[in-house]
Amino acid sequence: MITRSEIPQGQETQFVGLLTIEQKDKLAGQLYAPDSYFNPIQDGNEPPNWVISVEEIDQTVNEEFMWVKDLPLIPWISAKPINPFEDATN
Amino acid sequence: MMAGGVPLDPDAVAFLTAAGITDGTITTAIDTLVTDLKFYGLWSKMKAIYPFVGGTATTHKFNLKDPQDTNAAFRLVFAGGWTHSANGAQPNGTNAYADTFLNANTMLANTSNHLSYYSRTSSTAGVRVEIGCAIGNNVFHVRAAVNYIAGDLLIVSLSNVNAQGFWTGTKENSASRKGFKNASLTDFVTTNNTTLYPSLNIFIAARNDSGVPSFFSDKQSAFASIGDGISTIDVINYYTVVQAFQTTLGRQV
Repeated sequence: MITRSEIPQGQETQFVGLLTIEQKDKLAGQLYAPDSYFNPIQDGNEPPNWVISVEEIDQTVNEEFMWVKDLPLIPWISAKPINPFEDATN
Repeated sequence: MMAGGVPLDPDAVAFLTAAGITDGTITTAIDTLVTDLKFYGLWSKMKAIYPFVGGTATTHKFNLKDPQDTNAAFRLVFAGGWTHSANGAQPNGTNAYADTFLNANTMLANTSNHLSYYSRTSSTAGVRVEIGCAIGNNVFHVRAAVNYIAGDLLIVSLSNVNAQGFWTGTKENSASRKGFKNASLTDFVTTNNTTLYPSLNIFIAARNDSGVPSFFSDKQSAFASIGDGISTIDVINYYTVVQAFQTTLGRQV
């Protein structure tokens, strides 16, 4: 895990903020900025982690959720899409 | 409101007022966009138009056709990591999407509809969807530089090495589905299809898969629309209008 300031410029999207289940529940459906909602998702680790993006962390201005700026960051591993028709749409 | 001593189109005024936009260049661009769409007979074929002007989530959320801040007006709700700028709305490809609240089943005729997405991003990497929804075999989406699918799994190719451009998939009738990059036809199918679309909201920058956003896009959008089916001539005119709009704003690709 690293902190936000340690991410090299231009590599922000390769990292995500790691959430506990309780933190995920607090963020779901809540605004991080005007007209912008948190969207916690599960990554591709086993077991999966709940994470939010660096963009959400950086742009959070909602005083209630400023704690996201202190979240530990981990490399983003995409979950494999489960749609059975992924191949057919390629 | 006036521009150069000429009254603005009332639909342009409604949008600019709702979004709180007073910038002269954007005002001119929106007014010209609306009047051109009306001139070419395209305005009445649109259910939702997202011009992504003003540079913030609050200005980008409005539907030009009905700029009320309500779900029923198909105002966008942004979720996940977006970066909003004068160039448009940039999803992060990880968890960003926007809910249009436009139900593909109830709001679109299943044999006459279209989707469009103006991508400023060239990358074709990853399995991503720019706009659409799906339940199982019932797919309705546009993937920039990949394909357009409407009602089944029959693919209309949009294959290209560069995802930059204005991507349109249009179903003119049950036996005519066509894909376009800018004003150029990329592929078409004539197989009859009358499948009712999924009763799901269409998402932008992802596909609404049975209620779950999937295949997140990383392509910056400078325009998107949902509406009735449009003809080849319509698409050519549509590209002309939209590209002129982007050029006025200095963000054309």
